[in-house]
Amino acid sequence: MDSQTFFQLLLPGLTTGCVYALVALGFVLTANVSGVVNFAQGEFVMLGGIVAAALVAMHVPTALAVVGATLTGAAVAALQERLTLAPVRQTPHFIRITITLGVAVVLRGIALILFGKDPLFLPGFTGDGVFTLFGAVLPIQSLWVWIATAALLAGTFWFLKFTDVGRAVRACSTNLRAARLMGVNAERLTLLVFALAGGTGALAGIVITPIVLANWDAGVAYGLKGFIGAILGGFRSPAVAVLGGLGIGVVESMAAGYVSSGYKDAIVYGVLIAYLLVRGGVFVFGRASLNTGSNEP
Amino acid sequence: MSDLRAYKRTLALAAFAIPIVIYPLVYSGSYPVGVGIIAGAMAAGTVGFVLLIGYAHQLAFGQAGFLMVGGYTSAILCTHYKFDPFFALLIGVCLSMLIAYVIGRPIMKLRGFVLAMASLAMQLIFIVLAIEIEFGGGAMGTHGVPKFGMFGITFTSDIAFYYAAWAIAFVCVAIGLNIDRSRIGRALKAIATSETAAGSVGIEIVKYKVQMFVVSAGMASAAGSLGVHYLRAMDPNVYGFAYSLNLLTAVIIGGLTSVWGGALGATVITGLRELLRGLGLPLWESIIMGTLTVVVLITFPGGLAGAMGAVFDRIAGRNRKFANVTVAPDPSALAPISDAPPKGAVMLEVENADRAFGNLKAVNKVSFKVEAGMITALIGPNGAGKTTLFNLIGGYQPLNGGTVKFLGVPIETLLPNEIAERGIGRTFQNLQLFDNMTVLENVMCGRYRLNSAGIFAISARLPMVAREEEATRQAARAALAFVGLQGAEDMLPTALSFGHQRLVEVARALALSPKLLLMDEPASGLNDTETERLAELILRIAALGITVLLVEHDMRVVMGLADQIVVMHHGEKIADDTADNVRAHPAVIAAYLGQEAHLVETAS
Repeated sequence: MDSQTFFQLLLPGLTTGCVYALVALGFVLTANVSGVVNFAQGEFVMLGGIVAAALVAMHVPTALAVVGATLTGAAVAALQERLTLAPVRQTPHFIRITITLGVAVVLRGIALILFGKDPLFLPGFTGDGVFTLFGAVLPIQSLWVWIATAALLAGTFWFLKFTDVGRAVRACSTNLRAARLMGVNAERLTLLVFALAGGTGALAGIVITPIVLANWDAGVAYGLKGFIGAILGGFRSPAVAVLGGLGIGVVESMAAGYVSSGYKDAIVYGVLIAYLLVRGGVFVFGRASLNTGSNEP
Repeated sequence: MSDLRAYKRTLALAAFAIPIVIYPLVYSGSYPVGVGIIAGAMAAGTVGFVLLIGYAHQLAFGQAGFLMVGGYTSAILCTHYKFDPFFALLIGVCLSMLIAYVIGRPIMKLRGFVLAMASLAMQLIFIVLAIEIEFGGGAMGTHGVPKFGMFGITFTSDIAFYYAAWAIAFVCVAIGLNIDRSRIGRALKAIATSETAAGSVGIEIVKYKVQMFVVSAGMASAAGSLGVHYLRAMDPNVYGFAYSLNLLTAVIIGGLTSVWGGALGATVITGLRELLRGLGLPLWESIIMGTLTVVVLITFPGGLAGAMGAVFDRIAGRNRKFANVTVAPDPSALAPISDAPPKGAVMLEVENADRAFGNLKAVNKVSFKVEAGMITALIGPNGAGKTTLFNLIGGYQPLNGGTVKFLGVPIETLLPNEIAERGIGRTFQNLQLFDNMTVLENVMCGRYRLNSAGIFAISARLPMVAREEEATRQAARAALAFVGLQGAEDMLPTALSFGHQRLVEVARALALSPKLLLMDEPASGLNDTETERLAELILRIAALGITVLLVEHDMRVVMGLADQIVVMHHGEKIADDTADNVRAHPAVIAAYLGQEAHLVETAS
């Protein structure tokens, strides 16, 4: 395989992988504090892109649109937590998961009504030009995606490592119950982390939109692919989740380039199922299988 | 009470069937009948969904993928090969069930959200395949699908199609109801509440999950076929992600815990969709469906069917939440077990059992024997490894080394349900009752290993199934009478006191007709009177010829009760003797009894 084609697949793969990585990060953080895998996680990406594009189309300055759309994502996620998860902390797990799926459907519906069926366009932050790297031709917007992702990741890891609240989040990810017993205010923390995850997802959606357009129904795909990253990290390690997200982006891009673009999703989802089966202990037999693939993240 | 249930079933059937039969006679226009056909098709597809999600709590969200299989099978066979539509529908059902079996075997070992994601991914792969594979017509799909028909007769009238669709839906509901009130229905509910306890009574967890995955795939496929004959076309978008969600919403609104719920929900959802279309608001569909899903789940998880059931119960006075239960054991309720090995034979033999967690040797080369007809107690201070040892015997954890033999046969690699299958019952330190079933049904679950009705016999409700159910019910009543809980049969376990709940667990284990009963700290959480009563119960259990092995903390219980005592400390066995000898054993006094030993001695 020649190296130019390789990079022409690898680098755009990494770019979309950035979005999956941020979604994966959101999955891990929210799951750890709330105990629920939020099926609406991918919808925040969709929401971010679509709101930013709509604002810019209304001649709002790009910078302002970015901030507005990010805040929208954060606010919607916080609202989701308040309205649909906080009241049902005691109900069975499978019901809470199904509720998040319902919220995802609502968000798709709202986007469809407010912004229509057609994909929305958002111009690149610094024009729609291209640049060349290792022989691969890439939109300049890719740089923005990389920078934004790097900044968000650095910020998140700093937050987790060096702030009290961040430490509380990590405590929750080790043992939710113990953390609550130790006086971590789970209510406030959950709200905060949802807002954070919503904002992060939305920002990811904003920076990628100049490259891929914003579609009302794109959330499911972002969600599923980000989920792959999250599960690679076992819903425990944010860092592995991020790497997993990047990896999925690359796999997807390679599959599209070397196999067929029609089958790329099938391949990525096939990889997901295969991985879930391995991790879920499907190939573990006997008593050892009893303790694998637990219900809680 | 079962009379009342039969009455409720009949009432539900009437309430549902009569409007369905009358509807096309009243609204005979092609539009309302068409809406009715769509609702009927969807109703057929929801039944399996209810069993899978509502009963077994298995989040196979992507089940609409099998509507595609059915839809494409019907479309291709009927359009290109002129198959009889009903015959094509059956082929689709078989094909879907076959595919579901192949996929379900691995996938249903996954749990919770992991299963949900895998299932959604499966559906998305189906969609990609439908777009990419040529013979289905690719993204354009297959058009010109003929009208529905059966046995060579094409239904030119939509009303005939309407009745055919609903007849198929009702067959699905009937199968669902048959499964609901059978050992498989109980198994599904048991799996939903506690896989640990389900295993302890012999329920094969993965097997029943896979069965429901296959059954629901078959029903979904039938729904897919019916829908395609109405639309007269099939393409990859017909049963896409949106349909999947509508199906889910239908099940949730109708009621996750009732077989009828799905059909009811399908009717409501279809009506609602048409209403929105009529109002010129088709885009609002997803907002409203999503909102309904969320609101119903938060405010009333039982859905419409659940609400109606609650109303019926209130009117019929089935509100037994606060009934008083006085314990009045009937020692003659259970007959001594017939297949007991001779007294003194080796029932259970643990040899060099080893189990480490990291560097901690929880159980370190422990060997002991349990003789038939005896009560053996396993004691030791906190963290001595008693419960771990128990879990090694019961099948909940793998051994790092050593063997466990039951009646001379090694069982150390068997799973909990296989161990229960051989006649070992068990109770848990932390109660593991099935809160979604009545006390009687809980105990009926214990009869698992003694019954044989399979999915085919149960779906068709063969006469042997009814006979077996009746026998199971009698045996469960007897076990409840033996522990003294007559009158509590139709209550939910959560309505009972802690002590009574423990008795239910004992009754459930006794319902297995076990040769060996494992009891994990049966006295924990009980007051003095209850503890005394429990000791007496254990003696009566032993008198039935059932060998008892119990882990216990409370010295008073053990000393008066056990024929043999095994003492553990720091994962090792330090004594193994009669109660009197153990009490005098210096190592035991040093490690465990200490002060308390003197108390026991002075007390006795």
